[in-house]
Amino acid sequence: MDNFYALLEGFSVAMQPIYLLYALGGVLVGTAVGVLPGIGPAMTVALLMPITYSLEPTAAIIVFAGIYYGGMYGGSTTSILLNTPGESASIVTALEGNRMAKAGRGAAALATAAIGSFIAGTVATVLLSFVAPYVAAFAVQIGPVEYVALMVVAFLTVGALLGASVLRGLASLGLGLFLAFMGVDLMTGQQRYTFGSPFLADGIDVVLVAVGLFALGEALYVASRLRHGPVKVIPVTGGWTSWMKKEDWRRSWKPWLRGTFIGFPIGTMPAGGADVATFLSYAAEKKLAKGARKRQFGRGAIEGVAGPESANNAAAAGVLVPLLTLGIPTTATAAMMLVAFQRYNIQPGPLLFEVEGALVWALIASLYVGNLMLLVLNLPLVGMWVKILQIPRPYLYAGILVFAALGAFSVNFTPVDVFVLLVIGVLGFFMRRYGYPIAPLVVGMILGPIFESQLRRSLAISQGDPLALISTPIAAGIYISLVLIFVLSFWMKKRQRVMESAALDDESPQGKEVSA
Amino acid sequence: MVPSTTGAVRGGSDAAPVKPLGEIIFAAVILSIGIVGFVAGAGIQTPDSASDIGPRALPYLVSGLLVIVGAGLIVQLLRGKTGEADEGEDIDPDVRTDWLTVAKMAGTVVVHIFLIIPLGWPVAAAVLFFGAAWALGAKPLWRAAVVGVVMALVLQFAFGGLLGVSLPAGVLEGVPFLNG
Repeated sequence: MDNFYALLEGFSVAMQPIYLLYALGGVLVGTAVGVLPGIGPAMTVALLMPITYSLEPTAAIIVFAGIYYGGMYGGSTTSILLNTPGESASIVTALEGNRMAKAGRGAAALATAAIGSFIAGTVATVLLSFVAPYVAAFAVQIGPVEYVALMVVAFLTVGALLGASVLRGLASLGLGLFLAFMGVDLMTGQQRYTFGSPFLADGIDVVLVAVGLFALGEALYVASRLRHGPVKVIPVTGGWTSWMKKEDWRRSWKPWLRGTFIGFPIGTMPAGGADVATFLSYAAEKKLAKGARKRQFGRGAIEGVAGPESANNAAAAGVLVPLLTLGIPTTATAAMMLVAFQRYNIQPGPLLFEVEGALVWALIASLYVGNLMLLVLNLPLVGMWVKILQIPRPYLYAGILVFAALGAFSVNFTPVDVFVLLVIGVLGFFMRRYGYPIAPLVVGMILGPIFESQLRRSLAISQGDPLALISTPIAAGIYISLVLIFVLSFWMKKRQRVMESAALDDESPQGKEVSA
Repeated sequence: MVPSTTGAVRGGSDAAPVKPLGEIIFAAVILSIGIVGFVAGAGIQTPDSASDIGPRALPYLVSGLLVIVGAGLIVQLLRGKTGEADEGEDIDPDVRTDWLTVAKMAGTVVVHIFLIIPLGWPVAAAVLFFGAAWALGAKPLWRAAVVGVVMALVLQFAFGGLLGVSLPAGVLEGVPFLNG
């Protein structure tokens, strides 16, 4: 019951007008960047970090939470209405939702996505409120050895499992760790990889790396192969109240709930991430559909939008569990949230609920509020986002560049940082061009220092005996589950490839017809 | 850190019939960062008092990872297994890489960097916006210029003036609301 009162206390903070305003700002920005191609929530959090430095911690964290949830909603609008293949994170939604839009049922797709996101987001936030304190209470007991094990899991799943190529993921992770080592070693005070440069002695700021990779790298990459001509948005007509027919409600509610309960647990696992959750939900819905509805899959089945969209949002809430209670981010956006916390001298981890209880509960309460705001923003006001979607691309990417430069310059107010941004941006360009995932680099860079200190602490305690790292039952259990996760994921990847290639075969004739 | 563009041009395009040279160079860069990691890692001072594995152990481990992964990637590439370029809503999968546009954008950022201090952030930002929009083919150009100037001033006002971020106003120094 203590937690319940703490949550109420959180609401009393989050409901203050000024914080409501910050939450609204956060979800607005979040939805906008979710809608716009080329920028995601990870980059936005990175960008806003230096320029919201003057805000007090609670306000800043509420803004970032709004961006985090908002980004999840916005993405679906884009993939449903934009007449181009969507990003892989929401590829299954794009598959069915885009088909529905082309068949004139875009409104129903948007509505089921928004309502599903709301239900999933709310239920998952409730789960978060009740699960997180218990995880934190458990996490207090674990030591450096277990932390090392958890971080190994996070590294290997983010690096090796989630991308298309294991080697490229590991390369990206390695580069991130390398960047993390640059600067002064915290434990001995020795300089590492500074090459005698006083500039490098401070290390490279993670904000520069994130903004460089996400914003500048993306802008350069899009510039290299920009789709010219007007942006084709599929029009949506009619008042929003008429979007969902009775039939649509009847077909959507079960997938919403199933998606929620698939998404949340997967999000909480260190091996999580929305990709896996959306895929599993899609597969489940396809399996459960019968007769004519089953044949609709691949041609615009509403279940194929409702389920994965809910799973996506529930997973996003689930990701907050390891982030808040263990201090372990499992997605790029969560990693940037961790940095945001650290900038305000807040250390996510087992003690967070004790030390910063008021702030955490205000954050969780603002997630409930944000979800409600997002439902309003994404149903009646969806027309606003469609307009944003139509911004001419030269202006959009020029604007991204200006914001990236602003964020980079604001880190230390020196133009040299903008130059570092450019170098990292060029690296990001080549990584995208050659199919290297970005997220492992960012997660590696952010978790690297924490990982090293925990590893060295474990080994100092055991006096250098590496066997100590697997000696506790919890740690051993974590490594065993890591092996299981790997086996399972290779099996799943195989299935996913079969399914995606089947879907693409289906798409090619129709896709050409539409673009002609 | 940046692979030579000449190599990548030849290796570019989606259906590269020959060896993907640009990609091999990038993998080689990863491998050489690993080697540099070992060489520079040997120079890290380890205090005698260190009771743990010291500041060198993990850099060595990661350098080893980079060397192995870089070599593995080169082998994969020589066997013809290339990476899948990122997809996106604004990416046209059917066109060749337009290096000129990339160079124009990167060049604009360089100009921006050198303008911040002498002329101030708003001017540098307007130039950055205009340059990038021009590189990406914005038409008409005067509108891009207007949008760039307005955006730079609004950002300077919002972040410099309201939120107190120290953006140098440069030539606009002294104008109310714009001082960072």
